[in-house]
Amino acid sequence: MAKSDDCVYILQGLLVFGNVVIGMCGIALTAECIYFVSNPHGLYPLLKATENNDIYAAAWIGIFVGLALFALSILGIIGVIKASRTLLLVYIILMLITFAFEMASCITAATHRDSLTPGLFLKQMLERYQKSEPANNSDNEVTMTWDELMIKNHCCGVLGPSDWQEYTSAFRLTHNDADYPWPRKCCVLDAQGLPVNLDGCKLGVPGYYNSNGCYDAISGPVNTHAWGVAWFGFAILCWTFCVLLGTMFYWSGIEY
Amino acid sequence: TLCHPSVPPPVWVRARVRRLLSGAGQGSPHSLPAPPARLPYVPHVPPMALLGKVTATTFALERPRCVFDGHADASDSVWLAVAFANASAAFRNPCSRADVPPYKQLPTARSYMTLETAAAAYSCSAASPPVLRVGGDTACRDQGRQDPCNGPLPSPGPYRVKFLLMGCRGPKAETRWSEPILLRRAASPSTIDPAPARRGSDVVVIASILASLGAVLATTVLGALGAKAWGSLCHQDLGTDAFTRRSYRTHHIPPALPQPLPPSCGCSPPGLCRSA
Repeated sequence: MAKSDDCVYILQGLLVFGNVVIGMCGIALTAECIYFVSNPHGLYPLLKATENNDIYAAAWIGIFVGLALFALSILGIIGVIKASRTLLLVYIILMLITFAFEMASCITAATHRDSLTPGLFLKQMLERYQKSEPANNSDNEVTMTWDELMIKNHCCGVLGPSDWQEYTSAFRLTHNDADYPWPRKCCVLDAQGLPVNLDGCKLGVPGYYNSNGCYDAISGPVNTHAWGVAWFGFAILCWTFCVLLGTMFYWSGIEY
Repeated sequence: TLCHPSVPPPVWVRARVRRLLSGAGQGSPHSLPAPPARLPYVPHVPPMALLGKVTATTFALERPRCVFDGHADASDSVWLAVAFANASAAFRNPCSRADVPPYKQLPTARSYMTLETAAAAYSCSAASPPVLRVGGDTACRDQGRQDPCNGPLPSPGPYRVKFLLMGCRGPKAETRWSEPILLRRAASPSTIDPAPARRGSDVVVIASILASLGAVLATTVLGALGAKAWGSLCHQDLGTDAFTRRSYRTHHIPPALPQPLPPSCGCSPPGLCRSA
């Protein structure tokens, strides 16, 4: 009957469209996760030092899930057009496995983003910045990362230079309070990397030291990273859910 | 307050002092120097917003201007006396420069004097930075020099300070003692709690919705597979659904033979029926 033909054509068209969208989103997810994994803001050593780099694991999973989604969407398009039960069954099962992986990635990214509080970075900075006997290489990397962060973003400490005054630190063990109320990198530096006015910086005269904290410079990119992986993955999964339901309905209607 | 020499004078000098004091000894050329003038100025930490004005081992003071004009000569110098807040009442002005308590005696004598500056630096017309930093010189602490050392303070205090104008013959003027200045105490970083205040609602939303979607999908797949398996096992005809399925692998079905007409009317072409 013509009406049922139309219904089938419409369903086929919708499924093909759905799979095309999944394929494109898979490519986009892969590209986005490759961007995050490439560490554009140089914050990876800080996260690795806090032993909280699961958002990087989530991004790595996202790369492979994106490629899998692209490949499976092609398989799905072929299976829908040829109305092959075998192909569609393989498609459904592999899509379910990919769905499970992407679900894990989204939930991991969302959960671990929550745990990146100012207190976490503050504690790590106080315990590891300029540690005189670095236990392993990660302490050196933490120091270098903080130095670059403070110079590039004109900031000091996590919440401000008073972090160095309110708490004792590894830095304080090797640098006395009278000469170094806060690290030299917190001072406004000239072109050679020397403080413009050292006494002004030590006293805290506005204009000769960086008074704002670096937490915004850290949490901004990390939040973008985590939300990019978590929410984009969530959107893809919602769409994939609908396409999978339609495919299963279509599959069950194909006669042997 | 009268000055007190660090080495007590011999007995005969003390006897003469007692005789002079009991008599009208004011104005006599052999009398003790007059007690230093007491200026009403109170030293204080600068009111402007400076993050480093009080640290763990240093503090800043507003530079007194025009305070010593009228009392100071060109050769006089202004000292800063620093004492623990509970030892400030027991502080005695030194009679000469040699009696000035040095920095390294602070733990025992509970006070010291530092920041020896020419009195001209505190005059009204002097152009100088508006802030003095006490405790900023770390080099002199280790060398143990006898010079006035502006070394870092060893404990959080509290401290009280006053300025003392010293001339050739002893203190000429002094300001009042400041309010107690308490230095910062640093806490240990182990007191920082890195745990988040509360779990974000985003995580709950994502986790719950995704879990329910996954459960629905798994149920649907298992249900569909189970129904197919059940159907094939029981050989049931599943019948036609409301949605008419269309199969694309057509089976070759030979055309059905036309059924013979009922024998009531035996004519094949209609209209040409003749009764048999």
